[in-house]
Amino acid sequence: MRSWGLFLGGLLVWAAQFLLLYAIGSILLTSLPARLLAGLITIVAIGADVWLILAARARLRTGRDRLDRWMAALALTIAALSLVAVTWQGLPALLA
Amino acid sequence: MTSETGFDPNLYDRFPTSGPRPENELEELERIWRPPSGWGRLGIINNNYIGIWYIGTAFLFFLLAGILALVMRVQLALPLQGVLSEHQYAEFFTMHGTVMMFLFAVPMMEALGVLLLPQMLAARDLPFPRLSAYAFWAYFAGGLSFFASIFVGLAPTGGWFMYPPLTSSVYSPGINADFWLLGIGFIEISAIAGAIEIIVGVLRTRAPGMTLDRMPIFAWGMLVFAGMVVIAFPAVILCTLLLELERALNWPFFDPTRGGDPLLWQHLFWFFGHPEVYIIFLPAAALVSSMIPALARTRLVGHNLVVIAFLATAFISFGVWAHHMFATGMPLLSIGFFSAASMAVSVPAGIQVFAWIATFAAGTPKFNVPTLFVLGGLVTFVIGGLTGVMVAMVPFDWQAHDTYFIVAHLHYVLIGGSVFPLFAAFYYWTPMTSARPLSERLGKWVFWLMFAGMQVAFMPMHLSGLMGMPRRVFTYLPGRELTATNLISTVGAYLLAAGVALFLFDLARSFRFRMEGNAGNVYGGGTLEWLPTGSYSSRSIPLVRGRQPLWQDPALADDVRDGRYFLPRSATGFRETIITSPLRAEPEYLEIMPGPSGWPFSAAIFTALFFMLMTVQAYGVALVCGAIAIGCVLRWLWDTDRPVAPEEVDAGGGIMLPTYVTGPRSHGWWAVVILLVVIGMIFLMTVFSLVYLFGIHPRFWAPVPPLGWLAPILIFNAGGAMLVLTARRLLCRGTTLWTPPTLMLLGTPMLALALALDFWSWRSAGFDPQLTAQAAVVHAFMAQQAMLCAVSLLMAFYIAARASRGMLTAPRSNSFDIATIFIVYTAAQGCAAALIVRALPTAM
Repeated sequence: MRSWGLFLGGLLVWAAQFLLLYAIGSILLTSLPARLLAGLITIVAIGADVWLILAARARLRTGRDRLDRWMAALALTIAALSLVAVTWQGLPALLA
Repeated sequence: MTSETGFDPNLYDRFPTSGPRPENELEELERIWRPPSGWGRLGIINNNYIGIWYIGTAFLFFLLAGILALVMRVQLALPLQGVLSEHQYAEFFTMHGTVMMFLFAVPMMEALGVLLLPQMLAARDLPFPRLSAYAFWAYFAGGLSFFASIFVGLAPTGGWFMYPPLTSSVYSPGINADFWLLGIGFIEISAIAGAIEIIVGVLRTRAPGMTLDRMPIFAWGMLVFAGMVVIAFPAVILCTLLLELERALNWPFFDPTRGGDPLLWQHLFWFFGHPEVYIIFLPAAALVSSMIPALARTRLVGHNLVVIAFLATAFISFGVWAHHMFATGMPLLSIGFFSAASMAVSVPAGIQVFAWIATFAAGTPKFNVPTLFVLGGLVTFVIGGLTGVMVAMVPFDWQAHDTYFIVAHLHYVLIGGSVFPLFAAFYYWTPMTSARPLSERLGKWVFWLMFAGMQVAFMPMHLSGLMGMPRRVFTYLPGRELTATNLISTVGAYLLAAGVALFLFDLARSFRFRMEGNAGNVYGGGTLEWLPTGSYSSRSIPLVRGRQPLWQDPALADDVRDGRYFLPRSATGFRETIITSPLRAEPEYLEIMPGPSGWPFSAAIFTALFFMLMTVQAYGVALVCGAIAIGCVLRWLWDTDRPVAPEEVDAGGGIMLPTYVTGPRSHGWWAVVILLVVIGMIFLMTVFSLVYLFGIHPRFWAPVPPLGWLAPILIFNAGGAMLVLTARRLLCRGTTLWTPPTLMLLGTPMLALALALDFWSWRSAGFDPQLTAQAAVVHAFMAQQAMLCAVSLLMAFYIAARASRGMLTAPRSNSFDIATIFIVYTAAQGCAAALIVRALPTAM
């Protein structure tokens, strides 16, 4: 499960952030608290992605064999993409 | 090299083996895997037969839905045509959309998975071949029955997404809508069965050495596809169930005058409906990614990025459902989030498109028929993708919503993204199953007719839409400047149909089904489906050392045919395949597979009858059919889970593998866990419904029954689960007494008792499901729990029956494990439901 967790980590972070953003938008509607919370969640998601990137890089260096390194490389790319995606996903909170 | 299971990878050095093989091995394999003939064919479960039947049936539905479209185009060719009445037109567009989406697109992808995956993974078959047969026959019988409704004036008229209140019993009286609701719900069950089969198949039956990084790209696509089916389809099962309950029992989930909300349907439907588009696109993209290396004669550029794109598409597609609802007045911030996600989802699709273009650019492609279809699909899909980005922008969507612009967009995406790739696949893989390939000369005519027809039919629809023509109108007035574009669209539709007709002609002329003596690897593919095969799949199961094994080792096909790899014979005298570990595909054990049986066929027919008769409100006979269907399923299961005498056998090269394992290593355990994910998703979607309705109409919500009721409900559920877990512990200690099944028989009714208490607590507090949506949702939770309790009881009696016949193996029994997991889950869901329905209104 740990292998899969790191492998899909970036996408799971994006999914969790999206779910929370949807809940905030639905419950608090278009209000200042909703925007602040959305911003906070986006910052946490970015932090999680940065952590995943560092973990994947470490795994890439210490990978025991070809498959290990392959999964780490994909995990790294996914987390990096997720970093862009969660930032993009949080941007509507800044719009008027 | 590292090991995942303790298997020594150095053992792989033994392959290919040398020396002569015994003479009668191949004959024995042929005898064991030979499919029955005559009427016995109804009991065939071999994936190559079921796969071809599945594909044929899905294609039949494509043709039927296409004919409906042609009639609609005649109706719209000129203003005020009288070919179809308004009602008939509504039936036609509803059936066209429904059949294309539910009976053609998704089943066709599953069918290709059933046919191709075992060959690509070099497995003897999928891990649950009887389940595949059941899924196919259920789909076949259910689909044909559903389609037949159009001939008797009972076809639904609410459009393929069946929005209430239009589809409520007030505005859609009669049973037309019920045909859709029960029919689709039933067919989705078949789709989920197929998805479970595919997930377990891809993760557990790959050839040894086929680590995740060496897995064929088609297997990646199908794995992601099946995962999406498991997550998305429960939403449509739930919403069809809720609407049917509203129509049949007057439970007001979607009635705002009693605390329901019609938008709940839209949320639930589109939570399934938008991923559905990618559920259709991803396997087609995987087909393209599989074919392109052979067509361009080079490796796939950006293989890893394509895998990432599959995964990213799957995740992001679940975050875009509400972009179908931009015009419903959602909060602006939510609209912003969904708009951002809708644009983001085009990125992984773009990655795939660039990877394909780069592969063609890097290789030396021949412009044969599959290449033409791939390129034609690419162009068409990109156009559809670009209009998709346009409608992701909210102000534009408000203008184009429900116009022919959307009709054009969705057809570009679906035809470019799945139909053209599918035709490429037909041409590419027909030589694998036919004595003759399809004609290149005719195929080029087919392509150009279809490609030109597609553009001529659908390009003008963008203009019709922008000029204000709404979708789903059965006619239009003259003098609105809509005539020219509509006439051109009709001409294009018939060009497209001419291409399909020519394809049918070629198919009839050239296709001759063969397991052995097929036309072979015409396009020079490098993956394992091109190994020489018989009804047993490949003679031996190869050791995989790369992504394109046939390119990397030209001698592989001969060595496999000569039995120089795993399982060159039947090690136990039964059908069998190797179960491998999920990441590194290390051999773990030998799965003993069931043989041909008529029970899956009978179970499917009676299940279809159950749903059909429920639709026409013949409840008594329906229940009898349902009971017979359950009996058939139990009878088919009765033959399974029977350990064979040798506990370990030589799987080739002197490598000894066990013939029976239990717990998380067993493929049955994986299947039941995935099934529980499906059930859990239905539960989560019901929780969403509860929270959503509470948020929309809190004034309709009444105080819940006294919380004192909770204690006995939780105690009975926990007690039942504890008894069952204790039973399993005793079995694991090797007891041969009757205690384990007895404890299971005692524990399971405790769950039913907890449910009865829960039900009584709500009824005594005056909660009537017909009065408010709150009460209706509470009863929906209890209805789900009742179904789980019924299945749990059935399982407990089944285990007791096996024990009574001495068929309960101790200390390890897969049947007992599976029943235990299911019953414990049921108890947990019972507790969760009781808590949630009380906690929400109390906390708020």
